[in-house]
Amino acid sequence: MDAVTYPEKKVIDFISDYLIPLRVAFDAQPMAKDFRINWTPTLVILDPEGKEHYRSVGFLPADELIPSLLLGLAKVHFELDQFPETLLNLDRLIGDFPKSIAAPEAIFLRGVTGYKSTHEAKPLKRAYEKLQAQYPSSEWAQKASPYRLL
Amino acid sequence: MENIIKWETELKPALTRALSEKKAVLIDFFNPG
Repeated sequence: MDAVTYPEKKVIDFISDYLIPLRVAFDAQPMAKDFRINWTPTLVILDPEGKEHYRSVGFLPADELIPSLLLGLAKVHFELDQFPETLLNLDRLIGDFPKSIAAPEAIFLRGVTGYKSTHEAKPLKRAYEKLQAQYPSSEWAQKASPYRLL
Repeated sequence: MENIIKWETELKPALTRALSEKKAVLIDFFNPG
């Protein structure tokens, strides 16, 4: 990540704007044990109280790292029931990085967030339809398949 | 605009900043070797 991803301006700008970056050696104790680190790189996103909401293991180039971090930020907000902020991050991910690894999960989570914030089934069905149309072989299309019945 | 990522090196200061700046913390567990 040092050689390829972190030097990119868009990565520097994104991390500087939206996150507090912390770098820890994989074997530094007690953090390595507390966070159950077994491989590198492992990226973990915590809320400001220190609770973990997302992690990613393995190398990511810039155009996968940023959507991965957007998904992580969305999950922080989702798990804190902050649905407008969740949708903001997911919509940015889906709009700017539609071909990213994270995009299908973002679409699924967008449907779930839409349901949780409105108690209407339409967002779930829309998520299913979008996943079927654009990412039919993804695991998230499979996970959304029951929503076709809504 | 920054030209490098300015990494914190300890969790407590990172969390203090996270609370005051209302941001999440990104921890990169890396291999320095």
